[in-house]
Amino acid sequence: MSQSKRELREQRRAAREAAERADAAAATRRRRAWRLAAAAGFAAILVAVGVAVSASGGAPAPVVSTGAADVVKGIPEHDGVLGDPKAPLTVTEYVDLQCPVCAAASKQTLPTLIDDYVRTGKVKLQARTLSFLGPDSVRAAKVAAGAERQGRQWAFLESFYAAQGTENSGYVTDDFLRSVASAAGVDADAALEHAGTQDAQDALDRADGDAQAIGVDSTPTFTVKRGDGTETVLASGAQDPAALSAALDKALAR
Amino acid sequence: MTRAAAVVVAIAGLAIATYLTVVHYAGGEPVCAIAHGCATVQKSHYAELAGVPVALLGALGYLAILGSLARDGEAARTATAFLAIVGVGFSGWLTYVEVVELEAICIWCVGSAVCMTLLAGLATVRVLSPPAPRTARAR
Repeated sequence: MSQSKRELREQRRAAREAAERADAAAATRRRRAWRLAAAAGFAAILVAVGVAVSASGGAPAPVVSTGAADVVKGIPEHDGVLGDPKAPLTVTEYVDLQCPVCAAASKQTLPTLIDDYVRTGKVKLQARTLSFLGPDSVRAAKVAAGAERQGRQWAFLESFYAAQGTENSGYVTDDFLRSVASAAGVDADAALEHAGTQDAQDALDRADGDAQAIGVDSTPTFTVKRGDGTETVLASGAQDPAALSAALDKALAR
Repeated sequence: MTRAAAVVVAIAGLAIATYLTVVHYAGGEPVCAIAHGCATVQKSHYAELAGVPVALLGALGYLAILGSLARDGEAARTATAFLAIVGVGFSGWLTYVEVVELEAICIWCVGSAVCMTLLAGLATVRVLSPPAPRTARAR
């Protein structure tokens, strides 16, 4: 009988100790889980800060010179067509905003073309912004379409070239585009909003379709058309202004 | 076992990050299996965080993880998990940037992201597991 009581006591003690061990183990598991959750929480905060810095480029938005758009100052632009709508010749420049040769052409060739032919009413100038170089080109071309809606596409193109960065380096951020738009006198918010619309995508598709139709496979390519006539390639690549002038004079004389 | 595996993975990650850091400062292009993807990523502004190359930050992260693996206490395990979760979080962001923003894949960056993911998994297991019992030393 007494042995039975002792066994009972030992069994109870063993059960109590087992329960205490189980409680202690559960508490340890909870403590470890909390440690992990705390580590994950602090890590998430650190990652969020890092991502915010990374997404912003880690640097203030570039200051884009407003002078780049002066080349088209005072020239009317309607639906992306720069110059007198009654000009006999239409010159179309096929560009990719990331294309460094296009940027070079904007400095070397366009001033002569604009001053001698567009301002004088001989030529009206339009652009087709292609986007084959990469995702930065697509974003830039869509915002250019937004600038076109405001009658400031050419000012936007020239300002963009002046601030052009390394191809597909991810530099075409919203901050960058806002700086370019502001320098070009474009309402940046409206242009960026338009970039997200189907109309902006349609502008890119139209440019691609026109380029394919005439066989444009490099940028910049200049084409010429008299009235509603056939569009023909005038010149490709970086052009000596004198050579382009000669080709235009020839086209005007026809 | 998980600690030894974590050490091996951290050394592999450190090797990748060190290579990319050297290439960054040398101004060259990483050897890349996918056409120019590594160069595109390396030249992008995402390759630096507040002016510091992310490859260098990665190398420092792997070194810190290796340091935390030198001890086996609960604090050291938690530190490993914290570092690895930060690493896997930022690797996830950079992978998103590669695929969506840059449309270029850097195979070295993918390798590092895999290492960080493995480390985060191993570190989580270690935090939730009891420390190994100390073996008695023979006198």
